[in-house]
Amino acid sequence: MERSFAKEIQSLRLGAGATFQGEGILAVTKALLQSGVSYVGGYQGAPVSHLLDVLVQAQDILDELGIHLETCTNEASAAALLGASINYPARGAVTWKSIVGTNVASDALSNLASAGVIGGALIILGEDYGEGASVIQERSHAYAMKSSMWLLDPRPDLPTITRCVEQGFALSEASNTPVMMELRIRACHVTGEFPAKDNVAAKVSRNARLTDPASFNYDRLSHPPATFMQERLKLERRLPAAQEFIQERGLNELIPGDLQEIGIIVQGGLYNTLNRALMNLNLSDAFGRSRVPLLVLNVTYPLVPGQISQFCAGKRAVLMVEEGSPEYIEQAIHTILRKADINTRLHGKGMLPAAGEYTIEALTRGLLAFIKAEQPQIDISTGEAGFQTALDTRRAAQALIGPDLPMRPPTFCTGCPERPVFTAIKLVERQVGKLHVAADIGCHALATFAPFSLGNSILGYGMSLASAAGVGPLSSKRPLAIMGDGGFWHNGVLSGVASSIFNRGDGVLVVMQNGYTSATGVQYLPSSTGNRLDHQPGGSDIETTVKALGVRWVRRIRSYSLPEMVKSLREAMTTAQKGLKVIIADGECQLARQRRLRVTEAEALKSGERVVRTRFGIDDSVCTGDHSCIRLSGCPSLTIKLNPDPLRSDPVASVISSCVGCGHCGEVAHAAVLCPSFYKTEIVHNPTWWDRLSDRLHRTIIGWLNGKPAAIQPAAGE
Amino acid sequence: MASRPLCILIAAMGGEGGGVLTGWITGAAQRAGYPVQATSIPGVAQRTGATTYYIEIWPEKTTQRPVMSLNPAPGQVDVMIASEFVEAGRAIANGFVTPDRTLLIASTHRVFAIAERSAMGDGRYDTGRLFRAAKEFARQSILFDMDAAAKESGSILNAVLLGALAGSGALPISPGDFEAGIRMEGKAVDSNLAGYRFGLAHGKGDISATREAVAPLATHAPLFLDRIGRLPAAAQRYAAEGVKRLIDYQNDAYARLYLDRLDTIAALGDEPLTAEAARHLALRMSFEDVVRVAQLKLKPERFVAIERETRVKAGQPYAVADYVKPGIEEIASLLPPSLARWIIDMSARRGWLDKVHFGMTVRSNRLGGYLRFRLLAGLRSWRQRSFRYQEEQRHIEDWLDLIRRAAALDIQLAREIVECARLIKGYGDTFKRGMGNYLAIRKAIILPALSGHIAPAQAVEAIVQARTAALADPEGQSLTKTLAGFRATLPLSQAAE
Repeated sequence: MERSFAKEIQSLRLGAGATFQGEGILAVTKALLQSGVSYVGGYQGAPVSHLLDVLVQAQDILDELGIHLETCTNEASAAALLGASINYPARGAVTWKSIVGTNVASDALSNLASAGVIGGALIILGEDYGEGASVIQERSHAYAMKSSMWLLDPRPDLPTITRCVEQGFALSEASNTPVMMELRIRACHVTGEFPAKDNVAAKVSRNARLTDPASFNYDRLSHPPATFMQERLKLERRLPAAQEFIQERGLNELIPGDLQEIGIIVQGGLYNTLNRALMNLNLSDAFGRSRVPLLVLNVTYPLVPGQISQFCAGKRAVLMVEEGSPEYIEQAIHTILRKADINTRLHGKGMLPAAGEYTIEALTRGLLAFIKAEQPQIDISTGEAGFQTALDTRRAAQALIGPDLPMRPPTFCTGCPERPVFTAIKLVERQVGKLHVAADIGCHALATFAPFSLGNSILGYGMSLASAAGVGPLSSKRPLAIMGDGGFWHNGVLSGVASSIFNRGDGVLVVMQNGYTSATGVQYLPSSTGNRLDHQPGGSDIETTVKALGVRWVRRIRSYSLPEMVKSLREAMTTAQKGLKVIIADGECQLARQRRLRVTEAEALKSGERVVRTRFGIDDSVCTGDHSCIRLSGCPSLTIKLNPDPLRSDPVASVISSCVGCGHCGEVAHAAVLCPSFYKTEIVHNPTWWDRLSDRLHRTIIGWLNGKPAAIQPAAGE
Repeated sequence: MASRPLCILIAAMGGEGGGVLTGWITGAAQRAGYPVQATSIPGVAQRTGATTYYIEIWPEKTTQRPVMSLNPAPGQVDVMIASEFVEAGRAIANGFVTPDRTLLIASTHRVFAIAERSAMGDGRYDTGRLFRAAKEFARQSILFDMDAAAKESGSILNAVLLGALAGSGALPISPGDFEAGIRMEGKAVDSNLAGYRFGLAHGKGDISATREAVAPLATHAPLFLDRIGRLPAAAQRYAAEGVKRLIDYQNDAYARLYLDRLDTIAALGDEPLTAEAARHLALRMSFEDVVRVAQLKLKPERFVAIERETRVKAGQPYAVADYVKPGIEEIASLLPPSLARWIIDMSARRGWLDKVHFGMTVRSNRLGGYLRFRLLAGLRSWRQRSFRYQEEQRHIEDWLDLIRRAAALDIQLAREIVECARLIKGYGDTFKRGMGNYLAIRKAIILPALSGHIAPAQAVEAIVQARTAALADPEGQSLTKTLAGFRATLPLSQAAE
């Protein structure tokens, strides 16, 4: 795993009286333990990976409390895990990245929501929206509405987030409905503190097992005719129960203000940003004493109509601050007001942008429009002037700096085993022409950026091969699908491989077998060489699996072997043999490898063992500054520097000290017939007597041949 | 009574440990007893891409927790920290550095972005504008090469940044509280403290290291000093270097040939033209053939540089393996012209040229590899009879002739033709591509201009554009398009030529 949580695990043990300090998402983990959860699961993905990662490393706490942890192979299996709460009074929580994870989970979620739960079921959604997001920009809100699940969107501070976790379980049980809690990226990573409570062992757990299975009850099956009854239950029982609970427990917060003519309804998650925007116009202070009355919706679905009408009644106008589109809440409030015959004007989209993250700037702009339209007598000129000055300054800065400031997209790490595969694809394209490349989700999607710029479509995690199924039959060349081992096990094995075999597809699939789901923080997967439970190999093998599914043409190639990769890719593209061709590019994630190697190498060095360190270099005098090598690699350790040659002006390529000696530079220099400026140095630490002797011999003889007195250096003092 | 929190934005690149720096700052604020909140947007962006961390500190002790924001706003950042200079520029362009408020703490070193690195010539962003922007838009700034400072103190850049922040006094936190974070973490404490103290001294203004890069100076070639001295001043530095290089490359006579050729350009009486010609002519005459590569690979100063870069200790065994892969053309071009031509033509007919290469990994500081390179380098005396040498001399003479003819029409045109030599460089495919591009420009623009079919001014502009296009993409699409566009602007009768 990418990160060690040794420190954080200690804070999961804190009891009443202590103060928990840490990140938002870890506070959620702690709140789960305080809520007496029986089982936890999920699928990793930013920004919620840490929730599971910390539990994976906290097996002893799980054992003590009898909590079952399921590191699911995709979000659908995580959602189905919550099925345990349909029949048993056990609290369960799962997590994933949304919107994409919710999409994958949605079949199981629909069925779960229809059947209803008796044990609290909580879904922690990492709402991957706005700056830093890596997926399509959609709202999870739609799922809550269509499946009648409740959606929490807590204020982004730790006390509110943890309270919402605890109340979320209770809400779920009070209304027999699964509850989702969305946390935006920054809320997941926000630091803060809250007063801890003791962890609670569940009544039903691995340490307190159920004696009998639930008795047969057809009504708990989401199967007709029960489904018709469940649809009614959702609307007639569960919804009112939830609304009553929300009101009774005060889950939504009312912040009074003296400007009674107006009001603002805000999603809880946006409250902090809104308060800062209000501060900018001198309408609130740093402690949240807003002059404009606010209704903070920590529960964004369902709304409580009575609460909304009460807040709006008697006001001239209300602004709905709701991020993303469509503006579901705004529409719902329009309906509520219309039905209650309340004539308060409702503003939202229009004054606020329809798309994009609601930053302080966006909200300040919206507030300016709102106040000017509805309460022009309020003096906000100082705030407005300050806001304008900031924007003018930015405009001036942009004018000075210019539009050509180089972008810095993410890229493969130094020594990444996936880089050589894309180099190979570029080289094969020189031979067979441009290819249709079906890209996928995972680190390999970084090849869509420069210098590779490879990829024609991304259709979701593990979907690349399936997304090429319609391209191949219409094209003169075979399409090339890229998939990671993460995507393969998440979805690709069935959606892609099985479907291609079934339909006699004739494409090429490259599976990056790096041994982990690396983009999400280096977690184990079914074909990993380890497993979190017994540290034995994962048990599933990609090569065996695709062969068992009927793939006849399979090559497993060490991903750094560029010539072999080029040869196999070319063969896969050009062979007369029909059928799916699978190339398994085998190379361990360098992040994981280095973390391991650094330790073992340091130990070996310390204990006096012979260690050979490999680094690459470039001869300044031979490099002419064309940078072909960089265009075929993009390695962060392969960069440029001032040309030391006074006659040349173009910068030369240069390998910096972060090089891990993966060997790719040398392979590229050979395979692409680049310039002869690359060299590899192998430095021997703790040399043997033979190393020393032969080194001295070579040096001495070369010294003689150079016509100089033998420059014998002392071999000691290493 | 404070009315706003102190806002600190950190711009960094994924994998640099921006989270560590953030943790040090929030830890220090906590120790000092101030409410603090930090947040970030990690994820895939961490993989070396630009990213930010954001911190708010309430600068007073309070029992009531203030409402802190999770994202920064333009015009509301008190301290902007950037671990690299273009990232500092990005922050300024995003409005996070403003004259009324912001202290900018940034390292001036560059980590080149992919577009800068992968350009075919020099794609580096000009940071001159950023220095001006920092001066104009920051209330105060602490700018120095923190990467170098970190390396010198055996530390990491984040420690230097933390020191600079502590020394600046921008936060109500004592240096002791900052320092405690490094100590408490317990990792690489001594080296991190060294970096921290360096930054601290800088932040306080105790030291101001503005180290200017020293331009490499011309070296002297005594034998030729007299002739070099007669050249225009601007050309002398290049000519001195050129003479030195060509003696090493071939012999004294070859260096004299260089000066003879250069004199014909100097005679045109344009100093900038002569200076650039001195530079390019030396490079063209020291074209990179197999012999030259072998020569360079054996230079003792090369191994001194390798030992320095890899930090090999005295006497520590190490091996250097060089990757070379000459093709048929490169090897055959060492043969006499008639034989070389026959082999190259035959190989071209059989489609071997792009396919057959002789890949070798030569261990050049081991006897076997040394001898291989030594043998090749020894072909220096034979070189002047080789096909490649004769081809190069023919091209060089032609180029000089074009320059001289152009100078009679328009000196600017001559200068642009000199500059076209920049396209010709490298080995194998790179060399072929560059030479092909040069010849295409020669045919499409230079020759028509010299024969009076194109006005010189128009040709000058066309050459500049074509040269830029030639360096835009390795596939040559831009150049083809540019030249086609240029031909389309010509009257039919001229375009036909």
